[in-house]
Amino acid sequence: MATAIPSIACLGVIGRNNNPLHTSIFPSYDPSTNSFHPVRTHLQFALILSSTLDVFELRSRQNAAAGVGLTGDFGLLHAIDDRLAAYGFETNTGTRFVAIVDMRGRRLDGAIADARDKRIAGAAAGLREGEMRPVFKAMQMAYTRLMQNPFYDPDEHSPPAGQGGKKITSRKFTEDMRRIGETWMPGVGSL
Amino acid sequence: MDEYPSGSLDHSVPFLLTLGTRSGTPYDSGLSAAFKEQAILIRSELAPLESDQARALLRYIQDRDASKLPCNVREASRRKYRFRIKAAERSLLLPPRRARLPEGIEAPPPSAVLHSPYSPLSPISPLYPDGLIDSQWIRKHQELIPSVLLCFYTLTSDPSLATLCDNQIKTDVNNIRALLSQSGYKTRLAVVLLSDHASPSASVDGAQERLETIRRGCGLDSKALFLVPSSNSQEELERVAENMLTTLYAVSVEYYRDLGRHLRKKRGRGIVPQPTVPPTSGTSQTLSLAGWNVRYDFKFAVFAEYRLEMDVALRSYEQAYENLLSSEVMELIPSWSPRWNEARFLADVIAVRCLRCLLWSGQHSAAARRWLAHRERIADFVDRNGRGTNNYGWEAWEARWAVVMADLIAKTDIPELAPSTLRLYLPPEKSIMGERLQPWELLHHPGYWYRLAARHSQARKAYARAIPEDDRRSPSDSPASHVAKSAFAYDTYMCPEPYEEYPLGRAGVDHGQIIVDHLMRACDEFLSRRQTRFAAEVSLECARELAFAKDWHNTVKLLGPIWKELPFRTEGWIGIAEELGWTLRTAAAEVVDAESVLLADWELLSREFARRPDWHYDITRSLEGLTLSSKPSVSIRDGQLVSFLSASFLFKDEEGRAGQSVHSQLSISSNAQQGAAPVVLNSVYLSFTGSLDGVILRHQNGGQTAQRKGNTTLFVIPLARQADSDAHPEPTAPDVVDNGVTLVGFADLTLAPGQTLVFNLEIPLREPGETRADSLTVNVGSDTFDLRQSLAFEERRNANLWYISPSATKHIAHPQPLAIRVLPRPPKMEVRCQILKEQYYTDEPINLEFEIENGEDIEALAKLDVILFGEKPPPFTVIIPEHGENTSSSIRSEETRLSGVPIGTIASSNSLILGLRVPPIEQSSRYDLSVKITYFLATNPGTPISQTATFQLNVVNPFEANYDLIPRIHPDPWPSLFDPESVAIPTTGDSEEGIPHSPKGITQAWSLITRYASFASEPLRVTDINVTVQPSPTFHVSTIAQHNNLPTSGAGRFVQPKTIEEAIFNLSAQKFTVDDRSHAPLDIALIIKWTRLDTDSNDSSRTDHVPPINTTTLPIPRFTIFGTEPRVLASVVHHHRRAGGGPATTTPAPIPLIVLTVTLENASAHFLTFGLSMEPSEHFAFSGPKQTTLSLLPVSRRAVEYRLLPYSGVQGGGGGGLDDGQVQDEGERASEESGRWIRPGLVVRDKYFQKVLRVIPGGDGVRMGKEGFEIWVPRLGEQRSEKLQQ
Repeated sequence: MATAIPSIACLGVIGRNNNPLHTSIFPSYDPSTNSFHPVRTHLQFALILSSTLDVFELRSRQNAAAGVGLTGDFGLLHAIDDRLAAYGFETNTGTRFVAIVDMRGRRLDGAIADARDKRIAGAAAGLREGEMRPVFKAMQMAYTRLMQNPFYDPDEHSPPAGQGGKKITSRKFTEDMRRIGETWMPGVGSL
Repeated sequence: MDEYPSGSLDHSVPFLLTLGTRSGTPYDSGLSAAFKEQAILIRSELAPLESDQARALLRYIQDRDASKLPCNVREASRRKYRFRIKAAERSLLLPPRRARLPEGIEAPPPSAVLHSPYSPLSPISPLYPDGLIDSQWIRKHQELIPSVLLCFYTLTSDPSLATLCDNQIKTDVNNIRALLSQSGYKTRLAVVLLSDHASPSASVDGAQERLETIRRGCGLDSKALFLVPSSNSQEELERVAENMLTTLYAVSVEYYRDLGRHLRKKRGRGIVPQPTVPPTSGTSQTLSLAGWNVRYDFKFAVFAEYRLEMDVALRSYEQAYENLLSSEVMELIPSWSPRWNEARFLADVIAVRCLRCLLWSGQHSAAARRWLAHRERIADFVDRNGRGTNNYGWEAWEARWAVVMADLIAKTDIPELAPSTLRLYLPPEKSIMGERLQPWELLHHPGYWYRLAARHSQARKAYARAIPEDDRRSPSDSPASHVAKSAFAYDTYMCPEPYEEYPLGRAGVDHGQIIVDHLMRACDEFLSRRQTRFAAEVSLECARELAFAKDWHNTVKLLGPIWKELPFRTEGWIGIAEELGWTLRTAAAEVVDAESVLLADWELLSREFARRPDWHYDITRSLEGLTLSSKPSVSIRDGQLVSFLSASFLFKDEEGRAGQSVHSQLSISSNAQQGAAPVVLNSVYLSFTGSLDGVILRHQNGGQTAQRKGNTTLFVIPLARQADSDAHPEPTAPDVVDNGVTLVGFADLTLAPGQTLVFNLEIPLREPGETRADSLTVNVGSDTFDLRQSLAFEERRNANLWYISPSATKHIAHPQPLAIRVLPRPPKMEVRCQILKEQYYTDEPINLEFEIENGEDIEALAKLDVILFGEKPPPFTVIIPEHGENTSSSIRSEETRLSGVPIGTIASSNSLILGLRVPPIEQSSRYDLSVKITYFLATNPGTPISQTATFQLNVVNPFEANYDLIPRIHPDPWPSLFDPESVAIPTTGDSEEGIPHSPKGITQAWSLITRYASFASEPLRVTDINVTVQPSPTFHVSTIAQHNNLPTSGAGRFVQPKTIEEAIFNLSAQKFTVDDRSHAPLDIALIIKWTRLDTDSNDSSRTDHVPPINTTTLPIPRFTIFGTEPRVLASVVHHHRRAGGGPATTTPAPIPLIVLTVTLENASAHFLTFGLSMEPSEHFAFSGPKQTTLSLLPVSRRAVEYRLLPYSGVQGGGGGGLDDGQVQDEGERASEESGRWIRPGLVVRDKYFQKVLRVIPGGDGVRMGKEGFEIWVPRLGEQRSEKLQQ
């Protein structure tokens, strides 16, 4: 029997000025057609990503009041519905990473699953707090590498006193995001 | 939740019915019509209570109704009782205990047992014969059968009536009790007595006794009789009521416990009860044992819920649920049977009640999980046995299921999830903290659930739209075969048949409305938790639905604010802004909201947005097809929209001066969609903060010279001033234009996509201060609309590009390219010095002329300050026409100042000549002269404007000189001591008289040789040179200029700078008395009279000007003359020089005979003896005493004469010849041609002191050599006279 396990549906990087820096969308398994399709359109993902900003704002206020959240890991921001959930991370410089997880994004076929997959499937289709951490770690690594690029001017992408900013156009960064989004699955320790 | 039958999902609360008072709402038994005739009537014979006290009590009790209270443990623990309260006046109806047999049924066998009408055993029940349970049963307990019946009576205080009344009460109570027990219901009876008199204290004992009597008479428990004293105080009443209700609650709980117990007994029997009449229709199937167990468990759970034993209830519900969905109950029900849907309904009800139990006890995640589980379970079930999940019915259920959860959460009223906490979801409870959780299992606030419902409703709508037309036809119109075929194709659980869901030709279910309702509720929830973006997303979905339903007004109302206010575009979520924009535009066009249409069209022109291939992208066609009552006018703030126009501005210089103009460049770029129609800007208005004029550029077709290359067009725009009063007003220009003058220019303002228009502007600066380019307002308009977009300038440090030409730019390094510092207006008064010479000379009066020219547009009232700085500056005088002369007052040693001299009014472009006179300065020095004009303009009398000019005066010594004083032999004889004439007669009287008028003393002659040089920078004209001798009390000096190299006419001669000129003066000094022979100081000064050259004065076109003659006096260092020391003076006479006479003429070859006269002077009062010896020499022959002795009397002189004849042919021989060679070596080679020097070996020796006296040259032709005096021997010929000057 096929079991649905979580997969990443979308990775978003949002700049300090709440501006979208990067969006990667990944297809999810659609059991009715037995194929992979993104569960939402590009526009819908944009809306979802932007709506996480509300949560970031709320949570950072709460974190500041409670004096927690210093690691920048916001954990689950909110579940958009019974299938999609948004997880968030904020760097020290205010750049935010959002991972939108499709809780039924991938299928594990009993026949072809290897031992590890079985273990994952056996652990039920939930997610433990912290299982998204490798994703954010990898995203931060990729982002750090991007920042180390001397041709990348952070101020251009998130002007210190202003609005908006350019999107990230680095092919390497996009490739990193793609790799992270495609390889992650629950239980993966590092990416 | 509302879609479920009423009461089926509600929380079960003990039911209390009051009897015997009037309440606002009349009693409604709630019985269905079918039961009404069979209903059991319970009636009180006594009149209902009307007293205020009774009403107050009833109101209080009714206010305590708990049926609407939040369902959570916190709320429950706060209250001591929970009742659902209903009030009946005099009678109430209870449902029949036993169902009647339906008519038309044969007489039942005698063994037939009549069952409750709610039981599937009774044929009249809809459940008959194999139904499980329905909401009727739940309603029965919730609304029909009270657990406690509370009867109100009055306890009459009137002693005469007391017994009668008491008895009436007893009778009535007993009557009711009898009726109740007859009905078979175990409803508890309670009585409340309201004392009607305010004297309880008097008859406490009596009342107590009466109560006891009544209680006993009624057979009531002590807990079931209450007395309300007739107190007026509300607190008292409340206290009593509280006590009463608390007591009754226990009774009520006991009642439900009894019911539960009874039920357990029945379940425990484990048999299937037989229906009253065996079923004859349908499958003839009766309810199985498993089904009965479901029924019992469910009932048991409900009773537990009444008792608030939520754990028990949950367990029983779960048991019922499991049994229901087990293979023995639901799996057996065929999906076509109505029982299938009933079973699903029951499953839903149980699940909802489970959820409530979980939420009650704070197991939020478990509740969410339960919610998911039920959905999965049912989905699985429907997929396997039903009609699948890919139809509208399923989606309708999903939506409903989500709404149920939302309602439950709302009902539970979880404080941790209240909007004020701003929490979006709850953390999992501790028991499942470590587990793998679905994110959705963390209970989110209702907004999410409503949104989920909306999503499913959308899916429902999509499925409904996909229903084939045949099925949408009403069955009456369809062929029977088709109806039969499609009868079971659709899941119609709690939703209409396909021909109702989406009928052909008429409106069916309004999906849009359902979705919008859900979304609006979700939106409210999100907004209350400040999830504005999420709310916007939801609103967008909502708007799409509204647009689909063509509810354009609401679409605009919904989207308008979001589109205008939310930060999507500023934050760069372009896709979202685009979607909003298009949706809004479509809706706005439908409702003829021209402004929104314009705004949206304007924004969508930008290339940031994706291009729609079928769109015209022409702002002028924006309002096509709209019928407008008035011309819309739209004004767009900067940043309000994503503007396809961008503007930048640049001042070329960082600072400028008021009154001047500054170069600046304005560029406007279009980032419109490729292929969009060019936009014609009617005008652009550039405004500044500060004092700068606004600039309006108006559109004008052609006519301007513009450089164009590629996408860039460069204009040079001349600007003209336009006052406000200009004939044609500018309706589209912003209000800020009103502040005065505006500069207007014209250019072709057609802006095609991707183009940049660059305007070179020269903006006059008016007032000092900091000025910034503030904003640009672009006006676009046509006959149908006006649009105004304002653009702010962005200050970017590294992008200050100045267009030199359309293709070339340069970077201008400005820290603030938008700002210019306007310095104060430069004074236009000019101060010029007519002739300022590079150098001025000492002893020369300095006359300067200053021209003050008023360059201002109007006349100016001016004042003058003149300051002369330097070391010991001389006072000066300023001559002002019509204001006379002003002399400076020296304030300090370093400056001389003249302050605040009014110089009157200077008319515009007129000038005034001031004169400045500085007296001759004696010393060379350097001065700074500053002339400051302070003036006021009539237009601005408060602001002084000043202009300062500084000049430098260099005063130098024009000449310098050095001097030689050479002794000469005075030709006059010395006075003799023995001559009485020469002896002064001593005068004893006045010392003034003692000085004789004519000197009689010894004489000396001197020759003063001055060599002066001009140190001026230009040739000077020296007119006269003279010496003055300081008069001395002891001697008299007369001077004769022997030779000064000046023309005798007095016109003087030019002296070139740095050439040495010579002037020789002969001095002849004579002591006044012969007695005075001491040496005396000689103070002489050289006086040079000179003028500047006339050329200068010619230049100044003043021909009558004669340069003044300046006199420079150069003091000569002091010499000492006279003295008592004897001197020996040698002088020569060259005899051959005498023309025409003497031996030179008698012989053709003249003999250069030299007469050497050696004069010895003895000015002392001693008798001196000198020995003279002349050595023979190879260079000449001589005659005279070779060796002689000379005795000199005091104050006498004597001369010895030698005649020398130089040998002409002898060169370099003998002792003297050696010296001659040396002489020639000393640079006298030039004179070799004209003559030579010889040195006579003459020695004069003081006999007494044995001291050799030096022979001093005493005339021309003799000089001091190294070892003695030398005599010039001229070569006979032409040049000798010149050489003799040496």
